[in-house]
Order: sequence, then structure tokens, then C-alpha cells
Amino acid sequence: MRFALKPGHVVLLLFFIAAALLPLFVDPRGHLLRVAAMALLFAAMAQSWNIVGGLANQISLGHAAFFGLGAYTSTLLFLRLGISPWIGMLAGAMVAGIAAALLSVPTFRLKGHYFALATLAFAEVLRVIANSWADLSGGPVGLTVPFLGTQPLSFAFRAVSSYYWIILALLVIVCVVFYVLAHGAMGYRLRAVRENEAAAEVAGVNTFRVKLVASVISAALTAMCGTVFAQFTFFFDPDSIFSLSGISVRMAMIAIVGGLGTLGGPIIGALFLIPLEEVANAYLSSRAAGLSQLVFGLILIAAILIQPRGIMAFFPKSRVKTPPKAQPATEGARG
Amino acid sequence: MTPTNPKVVLEAADICVTFGGLKAVDGVSFSLHQGEIVGLIGPNGAGKTTLFNALVGLQKLSGGAVRLDGETVSGLKPHRIATRGMTKTFQNAALFPDMSVLENVTTAALLRHDLKGARAKATEVLARLDLSPIADADVADLTFPQKAMVEMARALATEPRVVLLDEVMAALTPSEMDEVMDVIRALKGEGLTFLVVEHHMRAIMALCDRLIAVNFGRLIAAGTPAEVASHPTVIEAYLGHGAAGQEGSHA
Repeated sequence: MRFALKPGHVVLLLFFIAAALLPLFVDPRGHLLRVAAMALLFAAMAQSWNIVGGLANQISLGHAAFFGLGAYTSTLLFLRLGISPWIGMLAGAMVAGIAAALLSVPTFRLKGHYFALATLAFAEVLRVIANSWADLSGGPVGLTVPFLGTQPLSFAFRAVSSYYWIILALLVIVCVVFYVLAHGAMGYRLRAVRENEAAAEVAGVNTFRVKLVASVISAALTAMCGTVFAQFTFFFDPDSIFSLSGISVRMAMIAIVGGLGTLGGPIIGALFLIPLEEVANAYLSSRAAGLSQLVFGLILIAAILIQPRGIMAFFPKSRVKTPPKAQPATEGARG
Repeated sequence: MTPTNPKVVLEAADICVTFGGLKAVDGVSFSLHQGEIVGLIGPNGAGKTTLFNALVGLQKLSGGAVRLDGETVSGLKPHRIATRGMTKTFQNAALFPDMSVLENVTTAALLRHDLKGARAKATEVLARLDLSPIADADVADLTFPQKAMVEMARALATEPRVVLLDEVMAALTPSEMDEVMDVIRALKGEGLTFLVVEHHMRAIMALCDRLIAVNFGRLIAAGTPAEVASHPTVIEAYLGHGAAGQEGSHA
């Protein structure tokens, strides 16, 4: 059957099982588990980004906007109105989805660098607003999620492992959404839009609607990651949550280094880059200011130069493909 | 025009397309009747592809109107016009390069079917055009004539009533051309209407019920293939380009 398990999916399934068991074997309060949780969260973020960036090839450099909207919506609803961050997470997803839809109207005619710059500007605008509209956002000092001990209904836990499992569940959800989108009718349309927009239109694809739907779903999932981030780290401020380099570029980078538009790419990318960054910081940041970022940047450049299609390109193509040369196709069909 | 069915399906009324100060299409009017194959001829740069793009909605009109079954479709997006029943092929095979042949055609069939139905429809269209053996091939691995045929399959998968064919026979051998013309005639028999741009005069003369000739964005002649081919203005348009020997045999 069409949706039969392929080797790549088995590997992914095994990875999820191994990841779910990890907290049982490492120090549940330790640094390692925090880094692992962060890597999985960035995998989920990059996978959300991948829906627009990979499937539709609209390279957004402004997804921090949706990430921040998710974090601010749930945290403000909790601090001001006492609404559980679980509900706040859904509210944040809605706010981000609406923002993405509004942003689509002026930006979807833009392509390539112009689209990237427009999305970048959008996130920057939100950062400036969050910094200056202190009555609403708390301003540049940021927001602190109160520590409540373990209160599952209020999305509060003592153990890192609880957050870890929630993040893993979110990653699984985002991956399932990506898979369903990529392999359903929507996936055909998105790929058509990515590969030839004019031909897609003439073949009956409503290219605007396809990009709009993808972008709203991508933004909503990114916002959910933002809420989880806020709950997990207990603190954020406008400059970190709407950060260009820390969030927007990193989401894109992880997906690109891992393999743009692939299911496994964002996971491999995050598992490669987040620990690498951690190690670079741990060993190099004490030697000279900025040295760790420099080394990290050089490794990124090398990775892109060595394999522009991402780490996934080193694995055999997951798509079942009949080798066209092996069959007498060419005589059979004119030409 | 087929005398049995004189119903007008496509009407172009005084179509103008302007690029800056240049009038690429300048007041072109014609109609296609159901089940007709009409050839659009004219020297390179005459405005044929621009006219095609204007008809399917890829190019905004600066004047005039396009009507399908009497309803104005000019101003609609291409996918809306495809839904109304008109689509086109692309001159240089604008297939989706990272998709298989079947996936390319399935994407178009999604216009009127869910995914399962679209796959069935695409499979059917591929069989019809003798393309089943290459259904799973990547389009990057196809020869140019195969790409042109997949273009046609993709257009047919939208289940159109009017199809604009932009040089689908460009790289075909004479026997392949005959096969394609048989397919087009069979589809015409089912009520499809075609507007065809083709540089092979032999194919145009053999296939078309009528011809329309354009030059410098203007309609210069219309009528039966024999009439148009011997029309003094048409001959002058081709000879005027100073390539009489080459163009004469090719249109």
C-alpha cells in the first residue's frame, strides 16, 4: 500500500522510542536532559518552519514572530487572567495563525530574498512593540512564569523529564502534521507551487490558498513551541523570544542543514546543531569573546558547502522510485 | 468550424496586452466553436505565447475580454479559469521537476477529485496518451518529446473543454507527430476544443479546421488552412522576416 512503512519511517519510530526512554537512563535533573529537551524543541520548531520553508520553499526569516506570539499569549493569559497555559497554548496558536494569515496578504507575491526580508521585518516589528508597549508585554525586562511546583493542569512541573516528554510529544505531533501535509493532496499542491507556480496555477492549483493554509498551520505549530519554551525556561524577554539569530535563523538553519523539505531533516539538524552549539559554548566561550559563535558559524558554512541538500541527502532517498532506465519505458512511450 | 455544433465555447473579444509601451497583443478577436481545432500561426515574436497566457489568466489584459461559454473569465486567476474548463501546456515543458510523471498529472487531476480519485484519473489519462510505461519515472529523466506529452497529460487531467497547446509537437519525429495528432483528433471527437500553436506547417495543415494568423500582436488573417496559408499578408509576414527558405517550410 501507499502508506506502508518505509525504512526511513522505521528509523524515525525507533528514534522516538529511544528518545522517550532517555529520561529513565540519565540524571532527571541533569544538564544533559535539558540540552536534549532543547534539541527536541528546536527540532519541533524547525519541522514547523519546514512546512512553509521546505514544502512550499518560502524561506521565512521571521518565524520568531509566531514563536514569540505563542509565548506571550499563553504567559500573559496566565499572569493576567489565570488561564491555564494549556489553553493559552491553543490561544497562542490561534493568534499566530491569524497573524500569519494577515501577513500572507502582502507577502505572498514576494519570492526568495524579498519574502525572507519581509518576514524578518515582521518579527522585528513585534520585537520593538514588545519592548516598548510595556503595559501589555512587560517591556524589555521580560516575563517570568511563576514557579508552582508540580501542577500538571497549569503546565507546571518540578522534573525536567516531564517537560522533556511534553516536548517529545509536541515533536511527534508536528512530525505527523508534516507527514500528512506532505503526502496528502496538500503535499502535491505545495510541491507544485514550489517547483513551478505558473504551471501549478494553470493546472488548477489555487497557489495563494495553498501557501496561506501551509503558512497558518506552520505559524500555529511554531506558537505552540513558543508556549512550551516559556513554560520550560520560566523566563523570556522580547529580545530573546523574537530574536533573529537565536530563533528565526536557527529554525531555518536546522531545517536546511538537516535537509529542506524532508521529514527527518529538522530532527537530524537539531540533534546535530544544538549539542554542537552547546559544546562550542562550553569549551570555547571562556577563551575569547565570540569565539564559540565563530567556530559554530564556520562549521555551519562547512556543512552547507559539503552537502547543500542537507544531512538527509547522505541517506538513500526515502521515496520509492522506479529506476526509469531499468524499464523499456522509452520505446514504449513515444520518444 | 464543425457544422454540426456551432456553439461558441471560447470568445476572445478585442484582447490587448501591453508591456510598458509595447503592444504585444493588439486588439485580437476570434471565437472557437466546440469540437474545433484551430491553429494559431505567426512568426516568432508575433505574440502567440502572450496571447495564450492572456487567455488562461497568466497575463493581465490591458483591454478586451475573454469569455468561456459566454461568461467573462478575463481577470480571474488561472486556477479559476482551469476550473471553468480552460488550460494550456507550456512551450518549454514546465513540469514539476522533483515529481514523477504520475505525480505531475495527479496534481492537475486534484482539481476535480480527491487524492485517490485523482490518482485514478491521472493513471487513466497516462494510459490514453500511451505514457503508462513511464508513469513512475522522474520527469528529469524524460526526453523532450516525452516531457511535451506529459505536459499534455497534465492539461487533460484538469478535464478541460478548451485546451491551448503550445508547441507540443516541437521535437517529435513525423510518425510520433501522427500519433499525437490521432490523440488530439480523438479528443476533438469527444467534444474538446483546441487552439494550437505549432511550427510544423505539415502538422498544422493536417490537424486544424481553421487557422488564425497573427503578426505584431494583430490578427492578420483567419479562415481555412488553405486560405490562410496562401493569404498575401501571411506570406509577407513570414517573408518579411528575411528567412523565407527556412520559415517557408516551417511556417
